[in-house]
Amino acid sequence: MVSKAVETPNAGFDFSNYARNEFFGQRLQGIPKATSTGTTIVGVIFGGGDSGEEPGVCLGADTRATGGPIVADKNCEKIHYLTPQIRCCGAGTAADTEFVTNLISSNLELHALSQGRPARVVTAMTMLKQYLFRYQGHVGAHLVLGGVDVTGPQLFTVHAHGSTDKLPYVTMGSGSLAAMAVFESSFKENMKREEAIALVSRAIRSGIFNDLGSGSNVDVAVITKNGTENLRNYEMPNERGLKSRNYKFRRGTTAWTKESIRSLIVSEEIKSTSGAGKDQGGVEVVPVPTGAGAGGEEGMEIDS
Amino acid sequence: MENNGGSVVAMIGKDCVAIASDLRLGNQAVGIASNFDKVFPVNDKLYYGLPGLATDVYTLKEHLRFRVNMYRMKEEREITPKTFTHLVSSTLYEKRFGPFFIEPVVAGLPTPTELDPHPKPFISTMDTIGCVTTPKDFAVAGTAADKLYGVAEGLWEPDLEPEDLFETVSQTLLNAVDRDALSGWGAVVHIITHDKVITRTLRARMD
Amino acid sequence: MECAFGITGKDYVLLCSDMAAGRSIIRMKSDENKIKALGPHLAMAYGGEPGDTNNFAEYVERNMRLYHIRNHYPLLPASASAWIRRTLAESIRSRNPYAVNLLLAGYDTTTSKPHLYWIDYLGTKAVVPYAAHGMGVYVSLSTMDKWWFNDMNKREGVEVLKKCIDEVQKRITVHFNFNCILIDKDGIHNINIDSQDPLAELESESKAASGDIVVDAPNSPLDVGVTA
Repeated sequence: MVSKAVETPNAGFDFSNYARNEFFGQRLQGIPKATSTGTTIVGVIFGGGDSGEEPGVCLGADTRATGGPIVADKNCEKIHYLTPQIRCCGAGTAADTEFVTNLISSNLELHALSQGRPARVVTAMTMLKQYLFRYQGHVGAHLVLGGVDVTGPQLFTVHAHGSTDKLPYVTMGSGSLAAMAVFESSFKENMKREEAIALVSRAIRSGIFNDLGSGSNVDVAVITKNGTENLRNYEMPNERGLKSRNYKFRRGTTAWTKESIRSLIVSEEIKSTSGAGKDQGGVEVVPVPTGAGAGGEEGMEIDS
Repeated sequence: MENNGGSVVAMIGKDCVAIASDLRLGNQAVGIASNFDKVFPVNDKLYYGLPGLATDVYTLKEHLRFRVNMYRMKEEREITPKTFTHLVSSTLYEKRFGPFFIEPVVAGLPTPTELDPHPKPFISTMDTIGCVTTPKDFAVAGTAADKLYGVAEGLWEPDLEPEDLFETVSQTLLNAVDRDALSGWGAVVHIITHDKVITRTLRARMD
Repeated sequence: MECAFGITGKDYVLLCSDMAAGRSIIRMKSDENKIKALGPHLAMAYGGEPGDTNNFAEYVERNMRLYHIRNHYPLLPASASAWIRRTLAESIRSRNPYAVNLLLAGYDTTTSKPHLYWIDYLGTKAVVPYAAHGMGVYVSLSTMDKWWFNDMNKREGVEVLKKCIDEVQKRITVHFNFNCILIDKDGIHNINIDSQDPLAELESESKAASGDIVVDAPNSPLDVGVTA
């Protein structure tokens, strides 16, 4: 009866540790912090109108992941794949953004397969908001969702509680204010593609340099009806300087008391004890009788 | 986390990986055992470390052993480091709202296949709810994680040969752990190369 | 638990627990046995939340017995420790968990090695040469750190145990009576730690009874009508 606690249920979350963690959680110095993406993520719609360019969506993100005050990952990917024409930037609890986008991506693929046409961005948005609403904000995913479908370029934000916005330019995460300041001052309708990329990366850069939760590099994704262009590490304004010397230790620096080596090379020695054509000491070799009939030479004479 | 103490570090070298842990098991400030290894093998060239709450170390280790054995029987092949990372990750995320207090570190050398004849050494870490990071240099976790980040960032360099990697990972762990009251009491290092796994117990401060 | 120690030696393991029972500052009893024999070569000293302790100890005892009856051989210390740990780890996830800390001591008759496990209510397990639970840890662990060494003979082990008890009685304001056992290849033996030479009694007894004075150990399975 109790052994169920450590076995795997079929689907959904498992709350088996919850009571225990409540029970002694307060006693410990706070429960360990999950990796969160203190983040700058943005998106703009561009093209169309009299720009003479294909309408599309440009998404941007920084690449810093934090765990409390520690930088857990200096170059993580926050622009998640949903479908070939839809991407989703994630802010908030890193594990939640990762798993939610993976789940919805799978469901969109199944949806596209069953409907026989690519899923629309609103469909992705609806799936996300319904899932997030169900968990009442406990699944901490704050998303910028962008893509191009039959209805044209679409851009949304999805909050962890399940509310959504549909806007021509959006920002989210801890650096959203810094990024929005850039958008508010410089956004134009019907920008050219290059203009949009430049604006997005400027907005991300303002997050990187003015928000402590954001940092490192600029990732950009550009989606038009012709496809998606992934500009991973589009700008790298914070490259680590080269070390002028190396800090190798001389071999033998570390004292150790015990060593065991597990060899992975399987060697075997073969000693033949019998076999065709081998001279066997003390063994009388009796040749297989052969006949003249069919199969006789092989020792399988049929008519004997 | 702070209940039992303990730390793990993994590093990538040239055609090799290293994973090391301290050996302390404490009950708050009281040291209970100095033989509590937190690094376990999955197969010949894949190891993982589980720093964190000691009861969860056992529970998760047993759980993963079960799931890796099931994988081995169903697939009739050994699990790769990347797949194993995802297995651990989804095991942790399943308990999103009642997590194991563990931050796993995975280190392994993928076996060459026809599709990928020269696979790169692999390391990864996760937070307590399974958010994966796959660094190209080093991965740290445990109560001395802050210190390990600092030391490893300074000492690590690319393409270290197994013996050089041993020195770098050992010195990183030893020096970080000396600044952490909850980690230490001995250390063990595993260097995984294509033809052998070297396991060494280090001489360490016992205070 | 108020105070319990365990010490391993060359071919034996010592287990010692206080005998107090009560609530907060009131002592209801000073002769409560808080060491339970779980098999011919296995015993545990337990403590924690009153009520939980006896319940859990009996639960473990009966399960160990059941295993013995079913299989005609007892669970070895390593396997028993894994089972107990798992039971506690599952219990801590339940609605009302057992708050029991214990020291498990056993003698592995197949390898002739003594075993000692430190286990707490969370399901934390440590394999240790010597250990303590309760408020005794603060004085006895350092005593054992100083005096314990590898492959001690019985006399040396008992000496260390006595030093621990002396330390507890000197440094801890509460007065305790202690109850000790020794497990070796012949089984579980009571030790009168208060006597001048506890081992002399044991040796003379074992001479008289030709070495099988098993304390409280369950009967061999054949006695309950099960035949091999």
